[in-house]
Amino acid sequence: MSLENILENWSKYRKGHEEGGYHEYEHMWGMAIDLDKCTGCNACSVACYAENNLAVVGEEKFSKGQGMHWLRIERYWDEPDLGEDKVNEYQIHGASFIPMNCQHCNAATCEPVCPVAATYHTPDGLNAQVYNRCIGSRYCSNNCPYRLRYFNFFSYYEDSWPEPLQMQLNPDISVRDKGVMEKCTFCVQRIRTAKDDAARDDRRGPGAVKDGDLKTACQQSCATQAIFFGDLLDKDSAVSKVWEKHEVALGKSSQNKSNPDKRGYRVLEGLNTDPCVMFLERVREV
Amino acid sequence: MTHGLIPGKVSQSNRHLAPREPVPAKAWGHVATRFNMLFGVLCVLLFFVGSAYAEVPNAVPPKGDHDGKHVEQPIDFPHDIHARDNKINCMYCHTYARRGLVAGIPPTSKCMGCHTVIATDKPRIKKLAEYWEKGESPKWKKVHDLPDFVHFNHEKHLNRFIFNNEGMEVERADEVCAFCHGEVKEMTVARKVKPLTMGFCRQCHEDNNGPSDCWKCHK
Repeated sequence: MSLENILENWSKYRKGHEEGGYHEYEHMWGMAIDLDKCTGCNACSVACYAENNLAVVGEEKFSKGQGMHWLRIERYWDEPDLGEDKVNEYQIHGASFIPMNCQHCNAATCEPVCPVAATYHTPDGLNAQVYNRCIGSRYCSNNCPYRLRYFNFFSYYEDSWPEPLQMQLNPDISVRDKGVMEKCTFCVQRIRTAKDDAARDDRRGPGAVKDGDLKTACQQSCATQAIFFGDLLDKDSAVSKVWEKHEVALGKSSQNKSNPDKRGYRVLEGLNTDPCVMFLERVREV
Repeated sequence: MTHGLIPGKVSQSNRHLAPREPVPAKAWGHVATRFNMLFGVLCVLLFFVGSAYAEVPNAVPPKGDHDGKHVEQPIDFPHDIHARDNKINCMYCHTYARRGLVAGIPPTSKCMGCHTVIATDKPRIKKLAEYWEKGESPKWKKVHDLPDFVHFNHEKHLNRFIFNNEGMEVERADEVCAFCHGEVKEMTVARKVKPLTMGFCRQCHEDNNGPSDCWKCHK
């Protein structure tokens, strides 16, 4: 209860990757997103809106960068080849997409700066945000290198869910009010339910929650099944197999890109934030 | 010395001496030997009286009181007649408590299961029968309401204190329910008599080695 207690438990779960603190976790929820499969259809983002009671802020506020999309599809275009020969006047590949949700960094930059310990690491390896505790200093958002934290500048409740739309709200997650930071939780309410189900069958620890017991909303709605989600401590889970196959691991800060078959990487890995989300590069015939 | 020998009153008076962790039953024996003979004699004397008042084993009940207002219900359901006088288990009606998040209100059909034959001439039962004939449920008011940002799971708590608790019988479930709901079996309509605040929950979680992770309860 004391500050001392908070700090003690913090250090337990906030070891840098060079100290190898992972073995203390019960689970390590991780994600892998195959960008070669991603079509940029935005279904994941829409599913996230529905699942997590995300406010629809409207066009004007969205254009000011106040959108509350926990999972956003970022678009990138190749530069048209403007070499001397002017081979291509237009870009030939079209847009590339990358779905970005909270990366759940193990050495998260948002956590140590919170003045009230509203964001912290759970024993599940999740980067948690406690809405009741948040005072809205927005320091975490400014310190996030991925810009994946969203602030409630207004109370969106009445505009976003006018009668009778409030009936669609998910009761398993609170509706955030003005002045609170929020972000992707890896659908913690689903994790909670899956763990409860596992405990009922007397399954505990890593591997207790199997693939198929649990899907995040974005994974469930992905038309091309580009998203893998599961427990990285469970060596049999699909997600840890993808991580292993592409030689991405917690604690690594760079990828050897000599083998084109190993497509894995994590965004801004060199910052040593040690994210739990890895991406598979898009394959192109060039 | 086993649980059955531990009279409730003795452990009550010595609660301030007890360590915070749930104490295995045998440890009480050691505590007792440190006291004088009078204490021992008291133990034996109280054994016959006390076995009926034995406390929930391996549990430190949460502390705190609240003076909740009387909640007007469509029918003044007498918990005292059902739970105290007729000794019906709480989970007979609140069936979901042992397998779900919420304890649940029984459907009217469950009430009518007994009350088509029992006490059909009483005014409250007549009112109930009216609802049943109309095919409506009485609009029961919620008494123990937690804020929307709190996740509370009845199943987990019942497993910890009743089903996976050595030395605890299901017949005494009401003693565990009373931790948070008070002595409902002494009330007619239920009233909120425990604060159900974060401090109340946290104190109990510390005393009983519950989880201390914020995201276990906050959502």
